[in-house]
Amino acid sequence: MAGPHIELKDVYRTVSRRQGTDSASSAVLKGVDLTVYRGELITIMGPSGAGKSTLLRLINRLSEADSGVIRVNGRDVRDYDPRELRRRVGMVFQIPVVFKGSVRDNIAFGKRLWDTGADVDALAGEAAIPRELMDEDAAHLSVGEKQRVCIARALANKPEVLLLDEPTSSLDRAAAEKVEQLLVRLQSEHGLTMLWVTHEQAQARRISGYNYVLEDGQLCREHG
Amino acid sequence: MADVVVLALGLTVALLVLATILAARYGIWKEVSLSGARGIVQILILSSVIILMFNLPLYWSALVILAMAAVAGYTTFTRSGRLDRMLQAAVASIAVTSLAMLVPFFALGIFPLEPRYLIPTGSILIGNAMNVSSLAIDRYRGELRNRRAEVEAYLALGTTPRMATEHCLKQGILSALIPSIDNMKNLGLVWIPGVMTGMLLSGSDPVQAASIQVSIFIAIFLAGMIASSLLLYYATSAFFTHAMQLKDEAL
Repeated sequence: MAGPHIELKDVYRTVSRRQGTDSASSAVLKGVDLTVYRGELITIMGPSGAGKSTLLRLINRLSEADSGVIRVNGRDVRDYDPRELRRRVGMVFQIPVVFKGSVRDNIAFGKRLWDTGADVDALAGEAAIPRELMDEDAAHLSVGEKQRVCIARALANKPEVLLLDEPTSSLDRAAAEKVEQLLVRLQSEHGLTMLWVTHEQAQARRISGYNYVLEDGQLCREHG
Repeated sequence: MADVVVLALGLTVALLVLATILAARYGIWKEVSLSGARGIVQILILSSVIILMFNLPLYWSALVILAMAAVAGYTTFTRSGRLDRMLQAAVASIAVTSLAMLVPFFALGIFPLEPRYLIPTGSILIGNAMNVSSLAIDRYRGELRNRRAEVEAYLALGTTPRMATEHCLKQGILSALIPSIDNMKNLGLVWIPGVMTGMLLSGSDPVQAASIQVSIFIAIFLAGMIASSLLLYYATSAFFTHAMQLKDEAL
């Protein structure tokens, strides 16, 4: 069996939270261990402020761990060029951010940046973005449509891993269901390794991956 | 004459008190009152020594201008949130662009190369470059804070910090230049600038005064735009770690 795709060993992270002019530090990750194999889909649940988003941000190095080791393909993330790491490890955020320009410009962003040769129209089709929206200003889309554009844009980078930071929590129920189904389908079609943060237990069950819970700085596998 | 001095100073104090009372509503009374008091003292000292400075050898003027650029750079640096290595960048960007704009006025003989022309013209260029740079860095920082999600969305796709901050930087420069652009648009309509007024009051030809004024005005605008662009260009790296992560403490 091939080695782990993503591996976290004894990872600690403290975050500062500002309250008015004061800031207080608190340890959100206290020795987290996690092993994810290629093509696996795992969900991470936990209460608000538990450090779920922080955990994802450490994997693509948008934030830095205080201590511990994080490996992607057996290689310490600190040994990657951060740009190359982020191309391999894509991320979809809770609140979709579209860039200035058309839907096509947004989806083609990664293709232009990395010359990945991604088929923009095919990706848009996979992300269920109607053809007639392709040349519209992305800023005028609904939140659900914007999130689908962000997913297609992340896939245009041809990543191996997709980090999903509560990708449906800012959407209404109908849009959330569509995006959820889309992501599950894309995961199997593209053979992506996916780490999906959610606060909804029902969603974690529907996704039917390996479920973990982050609580008191520790990550525990949920059984049953 | 003495009566005018007393009246003017009395009016200054009264206006500053009024400004401080109004500023208290926005929680900035301390900054307004201290800056005002400092300005009054400084300008009174300057009025006593400026004639002396005009009579000193020319190299003293160069030193005075460099000192002005250093103070201006420090002021802009404090507006940046005292970012790493920004003091040098602020001083250098303001000094280099102001000096570059100053040179043609003397090289072309528009002004005689004398301290009485060099120091005031330098001060106008440096002061405006400082204003624009301070506004630009303050706004740039605000844009990065408010548009953090957008910046991180770019970074997460593998862009460099420079690409990720391009829109924030443009907004910073544009916002800082709005007063200068508005002044330029309304030059002679709403606003009769100081150099021209001074020349007219001293009996100069109006067309000559206007020609010199517009050239100074465009030089001021250019100095502000170039100084702030250079500053924000260098400031970008101060907002990021070596691993291309936004620094929380810098925002």
